[in-house]
Amino acid sequence: MSVLSSKTFTRILGAELDKLMTLPLIWHTLISTFMVNIILAAAYTTSSLHAEAGTQNILNIGLASMGYVQAGFIIIGIVAVCSEYTGGQIRTTLTTIPWRGWQLTAKYVALAIVTIPAALIIAATGVLYPYIMMRDTASVAIEINTLIATLIGATGYLTLTTLLSAALGSLIRRTTPVLVTLVSYYFIVGPLMRDALPSIKNYFPDTAGYYMYMVPYANEINALTSVQGTGIVMVWTLILIIIAIVFYRKRDA
Amino acid sequence: MLTINNLVKHRGNQEILSGISFTAKPGRVTGFLGPNGAGKSSTLRILLGLDRATSGSALIDGKPFADLQHPLATVGALLDGSGAHRMRTGRAHLRWIARAAGLSRARVEEVLDIVGLTHAAGKRVGSYSLGMGRRLGMAAALLGDPAILVLDEPVNGLDPQGIRWIRTLIRERAQSGHTVLLSSHLMGELAETVDDVVIMNRGKIVADGTLEEVIGHYSTLEEAFFAMTSEHTGDVV
Repeated sequence: MSVLSSKTFTRILGAELDKLMTLPLIWHTLISTFMVNIILAAAYTTSSLHAEAGTQNILNIGLASMGYVQAGFIIIGIVAVCSEYTGGQIRTTLTTIPWRGWQLTAKYVALAIVTIPAALIIAATGVLYPYIMMRDTASVAIEINTLIATLIGATGYLTLTTLLSAALGSLIRRTTPVLVTLVSYYFIVGPLMRDALPSIKNYFPDTAGYYMYMVPYANEINALTSVQGTGIVMVWTLILIIIAIVFYRKRDA
Repeated sequence: MLTINNLVKHRGNQEILSGISFTAKPGRVTGFLGPNGAGKSSTLRILLGLDRATSGSALIDGKPFADLQHPLATVGALLDGSGAHRMRTGRAHLRWIARAAGLSRARVEEVLDIVGLTHAAGKRVGSYSLGMGRRLGMAAALLGDPAILVLDEPVNGLDPQGIRWIRTLIRERAQSGHTVLLSSHLMGELAETVDDVVIMNRGKIVADGTLEEVIGHYSTLEEAFFAMTSEHTGDVV
C-alpha cells in the first residue's frame, strides 16, 4: 500500500466512523442485540434460581447467551461492509478515497472502535443482571480479577467475530450469502465439526473463541487458555482481513 | 485534462474496450456518446479508478486517479444512481464525503443549496425521487469544487428546470476553464451543451472531433450518431 499521511488516514477513519454512525441498521442491530441479551440473561437467571443452590456460577449464567449474542455482531460486521454495495455507495467511496487498502483498513478500525464499547456493555449487562438478581444467595461472590478477565475476553471475542464477519463480507460483497455462510458455520457446521473432529476443534474460531471468555472446567481435557484462544481467533481474523484487503485492491469495484 | 490512451478492457473472453483513445480538454465540454453496451461506462469507471484496464491508460492531468493527492478537489464524478446508501440521509451522505476530503460542514450546506436539495437533506435517500437522487449525486460531485467534472447521464430524471440548471452549470464551468466530460443519450441536449464529441460503438471510437466536425454533412448530431452507430455503417467516420 502507498504511503499516506497520518492526517489523511485520520480523515478517512473519521469518514468511516461517520458512515457507521449514520447507518440506522447498525443501531437497530446493536439495540436488538442488547435487548435479546437481557431477555436471555433473565431467562437463564430465573432458571438458575430454581436450580439447586450453590451450584451456579454467575459468570457462566451471564455469558450463556454469548452464542446467540454473537449473531448480532456478525450482522454488524456484514452490514458495515456490504452496505457499500447498496445504492452504488462504493463508487462514491472509491472516488472520494481511492487508496483502497487504507480505506478498507480504516473501515475495520472504525468498526472495532464502535464494536468494543458495545460488546463490553452487552457482556457486562449480561453478567450484571444475574449478579443483581442472585446477590442474596450464598454463591454469588465473584473475584474481581476473574470478572475483568472474563469481560475483556468476551469483548475481544465479539470484536474479533465482528471483524472476521466484515472481512468475509468484503470478499463476498453481498449481505445474504455472507450472512447464510456465517450463521451456518457458527450455529450448525461449527457445533457438528466439534463432535466430528475433536482433535482439531480447538483451532476453529468459534471453539477457540469460547476459551477467550469461559473458564474451562477443572476436569476438561485439551482446554485452551484464554491467551491461546485469543491467539487462534486473532490469526483467523488477520488472515481473512489480509486476504480481503488484497482482493479489494486488485478487483473491479 | 483527461487523456485516454489506447485503453483495452477484457471481461471474461469478451473485449469490451478495444484501444480507446481521446482527450477532454480544459475550457471545453466533451460529449461522450454511444448506444447501451458501447463501453462508455466502462471507460468512465477505469478513468475514475473503479475498474482496472487490461492495457492502456486513463489519466487525469497526467496521473492515474489513484495517484491524485486531492481526488475530490480534482475530479467531481457523477455516475448512475445517487451513489448513496438508501437508509442514510442526503446530508449525512455528503457529510462523510466532506469529512474524508477535509471539507467543512458549511460546504455541505452550500452544495445542498446549489443543487436545490436543502429542504430534503434530512430525509433518507431511499425516499428520494430519481431526480432528487441525481441532484444529490451532483452535490457530491461539486463538493470539492473540482477542476474536472465527469458526468454520466446527469439530467436523467430531472425536470425541465433541473435540466436547464445542469446545462447552465456545465457551460459556466467550461467557460471558467474547467474540463467537463459529459455522457448522455439525449442528443438534442448534448448538441446545445458540448464543444467536442466522442462517439463510441461496440468498444471502439467511431467519431472524435468538435461538434461541427462530427455532425459534418448530417443535419443534426442525432442523425450523425445513428449513421455512425447503426449496424452497417460503423465505418462511416
